[in-house]
Amino acid sequence: MTVSFDGVFAVAYLVPLFPAIAFVVVGLFGTRLRRLEWGGWVAVFFSGLAMVLSLVIALGEGLNPGKFTDQTYTWLSLPHSGTGAFPGGFSLVMGTLVDPISALMLVVVNVVGFLVMLYSIGYMHHDKGLPRYYAELSLFLTAMNGLVLSDNLLEFFLFWELVGVCSYFLIGFYYEKPSAASAAKEAFLVTRIGDVLFLLGIFIYFAVYATAGAAPGWAASGFLFTSNGHPFLGTLVGTNTPLLTVAGLMMLAGAAGKSAQFPLHVWLPDAMEGPTTVSALIHAATMVAAGVYLLAVTSLFLGFTPADQLAIVAIGGFTTLFAATMALVHRDIKRVIAYSTISQLGYMVLAVGAGFTMVGLFHLWTHAFFKALLFLAAGSVIHAVGTQDLFRMGGLGRKMRLTTIAFAVGGLSLAGIPPFAGFWSKDDVLGSVLSQTASHPLYWPFFLCALITVFLTAYYIFRAFFLAFSGAAPRDASLPEAHEPPWVMRLPLVVLSGLAIVAGLLVFIPGFPNLLPGANVPPTYGTADLFLSGLSTALGVGGIGVAYSLWGNGRVFALPESSPFQPVRRLWLRLYFMKDAYDWIGLRGVYTIARAADFVDRYVIDGTIHGVERTFAELSRRLRKIQTGVVSDYAAYVVAGLAAFLLLLIFVAPWFLHAWGV
Amino acid sequence: MVSLVGIAPWSPEIVLVAAALLVFLLDTVGVKRSELFAGLASGAAALALLFVVADAGFAPFALVRTVDPSAVDAAPAGGLYAFSSLGLLFQAIFLLTAFFVALASASRPSDEKGSAIFHGLLLIATTGMLFVAVAADLVFLVLAIEVTSIATYLMVGYTRRDPRSLEAAMKFYIIGALSTALSFFGVSLLYGAFHSTSLVALSGALGGTTQPTLALLGFGFLLVGLGFKVTAVPFHAWAVDVYDGAPTDVSAFLAGGSKKIGVFAFFLVFIGPIAFFDARGAHCLTACGSVYNFHPTLAVSLGVLAILTMTIGNLLALMQRSMKRMLAYSSISQAGYMLIGIAVGTAPALAGATLQVFAHVFMKAGAFLLVAGFATIGIGPLIDDYRGLGARRPKASVAFALMLLSLAGIPLTVGFVSKFILFSAAVQAQGFFLVLAIAGLLNSAVSVFYYARVLKVMFMDRAEPVPAPLPGPPVAGGSEPAVLAAGGFGYGRATAIALATIAIVVFGIYPQPLIAAFQSAAEHFVLTGA
Repeated sequence: MTVSFDGVFAVAYLVPLFPAIAFVVVGLFGTRLRRLEWGGWVAVFFSGLAMVLSLVIALGEGLNPGKFTDQTYTWLSLPHSGTGAFPGGFSLVMGTLVDPISALMLVVVNVVGFLVMLYSIGYMHHDKGLPRYYAELSLFLTAMNGLVLSDNLLEFFLFWELVGVCSYFLIGFYYEKPSAASAAKEAFLVTRIGDVLFLLGIFIYFAVYATAGAAPGWAASGFLFTSNGHPFLGTLVGTNTPLLTVAGLMMLAGAAGKSAQFPLHVWLPDAMEGPTTVSALIHAATMVAAGVYLLAVTSLFLGFTPADQLAIVAIGGFTTLFAATMALVHRDIKRVIAYSTISQLGYMVLAVGAGFTMVGLFHLWTHAFFKALLFLAAGSVIHAVGTQDLFRMGGLGRKMRLTTIAFAVGGLSLAGIPPFAGFWSKDDVLGSVLSQTASHPLYWPFFLCALITVFLTAYYIFRAFFLAFSGAAPRDASLPEAHEPPWVMRLPLVVLSGLAIVAGLLVFIPGFPNLLPGANVPPTYGTADLFLSGLSTALGVGGIGVAYSLWGNGRVFALPESSPFQPVRRLWLRLYFMKDAYDWIGLRGVYTIARAADFVDRYVIDGTIHGVERTFAELSRRLRKIQTGVVSDYAAYVVAGLAAFLLLLIFVAPWFLHAWGV
Repeated sequence: MVSLVGIAPWSPEIVLVAAALLVFLLDTVGVKRSELFAGLASGAAALALLFVVADAGFAPFALVRTVDPSAVDAAPAGGLYAFSSLGLLFQAIFLLTAFFVALASASRPSDEKGSAIFHGLLLIATTGMLFVAVAADLVFLVLAIEVTSIATYLMVGYTRRDPRSLEAAMKFYIIGALSTALSFFGVSLLYGAFHSTSLVALSGALGGTTQPTLALLGFGFLLVGLGFKVTAVPFHAWAVDVYDGAPTDVSAFLAGGSKKIGVFAFFLVFIGPIAFFDARGAHCLTACGSVYNFHPTLAVSLGVLAILTMTIGNLLALMQRSMKRMLAYSSISQAGYMLIGIAVGTAPALAGATLQVFAHVFMKAGAFLLVAGFATIGIGPLIDDYRGLGARRPKASVAFALMLLSLAGIPLTVGFVSKFILFSAAVQAQGFFLVLAIAGLLNSAVSVFYYARVLKVMFMDRAEPVPAPLPGPPVAGGSEPAVLAAGGFGYGRATAIALATIAIVVFGIYPQPLIAAFQSAAEHFVLTGA
């Protein structure tokens, strides 16, 4: 039985459009509603529609594995002229590309998006500025869906910037708080470094491939990713030249900014200043994964060179360990999970870098569910006790049974304990990278980083679990009496718990490893390495055991002051002094440059500008005097102009042309 | 029985002239109703537009096609006129302008003096413009321009009582007469050089004239005469006084419509022969012996004219305090952009210049019509009089803002599309034309300043306490209709403005069919040279 899903794929644009409607409705009329939550229900409704449609699309894609459906609308198309930078002309297009990876991402974005919207109804109940919140969150969903469905690089970049803007707004949602406002700015500026390099990478690809691919060429077709179900650039994908290596590195820089990879990771923990719902949706499940998605798209449609791949593996592998160590010592529950997110994103980057695009996206898929679950469970705790400090909590397990179970499920999934979802994807990442170490010995250190991180991950997440939920009562007696949240918050926890258990079964769907046919199929890791699985499970269980022995049953472990590990702990608490270093660079380096620039600006540029301005004003005043209103003057201008024009035509222009060499 | 087949291609012109005569007749027999005249004029313009659009090959209207399709874009064969797709597009643009102006003027006071003269002359002027778009002979071309010019001189002064309008009409007439004289002198020189006034013959002879200097002189005089029409600097000085002094609806027609016949005349005189030369160039180089290539010389000279026009127009617009004068100078600088397209002369450049002309119907004519509307509700002539208008008149203010944004060339408006195509064509042509593209971009940047200033005044600045609506006729242009009792623009004007605003946005978001049509017409034009 075959069911045609072409009609559904053709209306994929509705997925971003639904939340856009919510954005307009809530944004324009939200403040006029009698009860402000109603705006929230509008947003929930439209994100629900988007979720249903994306599930249908994903089902269609699953039944027709490897189908590429590109719907392109040409906005502007410049006719070809045979000369210049784009001799075949070029087009600006907008379109939707439904393919296996975008279908996968659509499900992630919209399922988590819908659940977070629903959860927000309860969680944000007491906040001011609700219409603003729901409008911005809807706009984010629009942008994120647009990014996922983009069928060309420019559209991708447009939505990429838009999700960045939404992230900026939402991190700074509590803008009266100085820390939130500064975190928003930090996030915006740090990711901007990546964005600029990303744009540079796009330009390089455009310049190199302007006339490549099927007629009438890449530029004239609007820089599309695909044509007729195959990568537009066909066999050119992955061409290895120094310039393209640089372009690939630029894409990596863009991804590192968005996905908070070393050294551009500093913004993500601070982004926890936003509401916890925002952290769950944007800074755990979707937007931060956009960097990984960018790498996936690039690897499929543009290709990386071997040097790029090594750089990606290095960044990803190092980041897993680097971020996990910082998660070991923090006492803010959201920051612990945030460092964990950076670390897990590192796994995805690592897998994509090693060439296993689908494996990286598989981990993105499971991670989205269990990490959103962890954040929402943490949100439920914060909602109940009003603090994020783990050391003030304790004993919450008795009062909040559902939340406790949810956090435990998320934690087990994150720790990679079978049969939870995280186990399957993490196992695939480790196994696939290991399978490449034979031919790429340089991958070894980064594989080891990832392996050690399994142990650390299990430890830090269960340290947080035991600190919050085990024991008899909160360590800080002044905390309010804990209670379970309302159903709008419980329902998402239940659904996400279920997903965090079963989402890993995706890997058993026949054909999943072969979802990406085409000219260059990335290798898919299909074999199971039982020894490695056993080892990583043992590491995970060991991590949980250590965490239990140190923090279980309400115990609080304190590292002795004399311990030789104290300096290491301080190093982690101070985040490897990287923020201090950045601040120092910012203050000493950038500030000095800024002072110099300010001087130049004041005395040179301003001087020039004011000079130009004065000149313009003066010119304008003088010229106005020409406009005498006397008609004989005008006639005189015509005659003088005629004389000048004839001189130009007969003497000056030929001379000029001679000098120009025409 | 006399066959009517021969006159079928002239249906649009016949419709316009018949309607004009009817208007004058009704006026003579004592029916003096402004709405009636406006209805007749807009109806005639719409009917003529239907014929023209059908002729241009728009399939849904194929039944009312009046020109034999095989005659459109045929290789030139001499004669006084020829039908080209690009010419038909220009006819459609002219008729659209006339339609908008007539529609908006339906909201003028019913018993206005001179209303018949205004509407009748509007139709006559439009007829002349249609002739320009089919000209294939220099004398025919200049005469057609004269038909339009004389009608527009009278339109500027039709109110008769307002001294500023009369002064403007007088200036317009004197400078116009001078330009016509120069044009005809140029034509006679060209006849001397080529022994023909046919544009086709000119094209054929251009490669092998024995008197290049005489030909260049002829081109020079003719281009200066046409430069007056398109308000190229330094032949622009009349335009500001005329646009400012004329009733604002007439200014809309002048800036959005009649001025653009100069652009098409430039196409005919300059591109046609040159294109023909380029197409035949290889052949001629071997067969014709001494070949004189005019193209670079004319292109550079026109390029200089373009840079001067947009720069000086922009500079002067910067310091204007009067809304109409600002729009007039902006109109001059926009003419500079169109001259870029003519100087570059490739098919994409022509398409871009034509798109710019098309966009002007909505954004420049629309802006003038809207300013006239604002005057009827008691808003003064100065930019500062628009302070806080956004809060008081949100819909009209947003429409005005969209028109200004389109003039500035902001994306998602039709003004962006036309400038994008135009400047890209200049960039693609490379060489000297790159300079034109850069000058155009810099000028666009400067122009944003004075458009944005109006937006700031309208939306950011706090309104001063609203003065009571002025009793009696307000001062803008001196000849605006009285303040309407209802405090609105009237249905005709509101409809025209709404249509123009919608067009700006729709063609800004969905420009591709437009670009394709203009591009294909421009390619035909460049190929056949007529």
